[in-house]
Amino acid sequence: MNRDSYFFLAFILLFAAINIGLLVSGSLQADWTGFGIIVAAGFTLALYSFLYKDNPLFKFAEHVFVGVAAAYVFGQVWYPTIYGEILGPMTGVGDFDAWLLVPTLLGLLMLTRFSPKFGWLSRISFAFVVGVGAGLSIPRTIASQILAQLEPTMRPLSMDMDGLNLFLILVGVVAVLVYFFFSVEHKGAVGHVSRLGIWFLMISFGASFGFTIMGRLSLFIGRMQFLMGDWLPLIE
Amino acid sequence: MIEKLLNLDRRYIFIFVFLGVGIPLLLDFSFPIKPEKHAQAIYDQIERVGDKKGTVLLSFSYGPSTVPELQPMALSLLRHCFRRDINVVAICMWPDAPGLAQQALEEIAAEFDKQEGIDYAFMGYKPGFQNVILNMGQDFHSTFPQDAWGASSDTLAATRNIHSLKDFDFIFDLAAGSSIDQMWIPFGQEKYKFPLGAGCTAVIAPDLYPYIQSGQIVGLLGGLSGAAQYEAIIGKPGEATKGMRPQSVTHLIMIAFILLGNTMYFLSRRSVQTAANSQ
Repeated sequence: MNRDSYFFLAFILLFAAINIGLLVSGSLQADWTGFGIIVAAGFTLALYSFLYKDNPLFKFAEHVFVGVAAAYVFGQVWYPTIYGEILGPMTGVGDFDAWLLVPTLLGLLMLTRFSPKFGWLSRISFAFVVGVGAGLSIPRTIASQILAQLEPTMRPLSMDMDGLNLFLILVGVVAVLVYFFFSVEHKGAVGHVSRLGIWFLMISFGASFGFTIMGRLSLFIGRMQFLMGDWLPLIE
Repeated sequence: MIEKLLNLDRRYIFIFVFLGVGIPLLLDFSFPIKPEKHAQAIYDQIERVGDKKGTVLLSFSYGPSTVPELQPMALSLLRHCFRRDINVVAICMWPDAPGLAQQALEEIAAEFDKQEGIDYAFMGYKPGFQNVILNMGQDFHSTFPQDAWGASSDTLAATRNIHSLKDFDFIFDLAAGSSIDQMWIPFGQEKYKFPLGAGCTAVIAPDLYPYIQSGQIVGLLGGLSGAAQYEAIIGKPGEATKGMRPQSVTHLIMIAFILLGNTMYFLSRRSVQTAANSQ
């Protein structure tokens, strides 16, 4: 056994000792809720142990999570939708809508991909999905992401803070579009505007990065609140 | 020394972040939380719905991995709605959301003595996302014929008068992914023209600001900070407000490390240039 093995063995023993102490002192109830908190705390610590280095505890927690998540999603789709709306009504539980057989058949055809002999049947389903998906998405995307976004960019400017914001948005949009316009060499006036576009992009990336740090820290804070509040009785 | 700091083992940074989160959670102090106008806009919209005792659709599009940011938002929004006697219809667009939605509904409903089926309805999870939104726009009852417990949506007091998305006075999506800009806005708000509010993780908040500017969403709650702002507006501090203490401290630590890293980088460049000039 190397040093890391001893370290992880000590970690498991310490975790067990803490939980025994919490159960004996009454901080954790010896019921399913208490057991759930112990399991959640153990898996949280096992996943964070990756920050030290990759290890069997992390791998175990990771694989258990993948398995549990897949089974949970399957259950959520199976009971309310596949069984609740199709199989159940077909076998006499509830009202059956015959139209549902069409998407059910299309869904089943997708599974023929697993058969080399009948795999071509799945193309019918994929053709339907691609056709309907494109038909639904293209006009909706043009309306909501392009046309609706163009309108506020071209509003009349005013001499107040809102007007300044509008002006900055207008300059930013034009400058970034010029930066991504590669048919003209970025020299002279075009080069200056293009450089301004880079500045706008950099500020935008900085804002996104700052928000990302904030988000990731929030998740860590949530786990620490759980460990220090629900598991260890250190905070209320 | 400079080289050592430039190649600092990242595990030292982890220790600082750990202490930056752990110590403020143990200590009792607070930073002022000033609500932004985008959070206030959400509050004002719900107040308007409350004035006419309308109905709000709450869409849960997140899972356990983003609970620290989005669950406090859900609790605050539900608290505000139930305080104003607004009917709430909750749906789940993510398969791992039903447990979280049910937990939030039961906790806040008990606080305000609200009854399921009458004051609020929980419709559960439905796969298909944009298809679910389009279908709800055409016929809500065919999309959700039953609530999560099998009761017919035609007979529930909370849903029987809802026939389309247009019948909701306000729709709010709690999103951990791109459900607001890629689903609710193109397939819902733009097509059926209802007031849409957004609550999201901090990671995707910058992508949603253009939709406030265009009026496609009435307001935005972004990340833990947005949740804390809403708790401040409704006057009920909760987990998000508590989380802002370590959030602020760790942000200062991150800024210090960024400044340190850049200072060391420029000092190392200068020392390399000085060495090159002296040769």
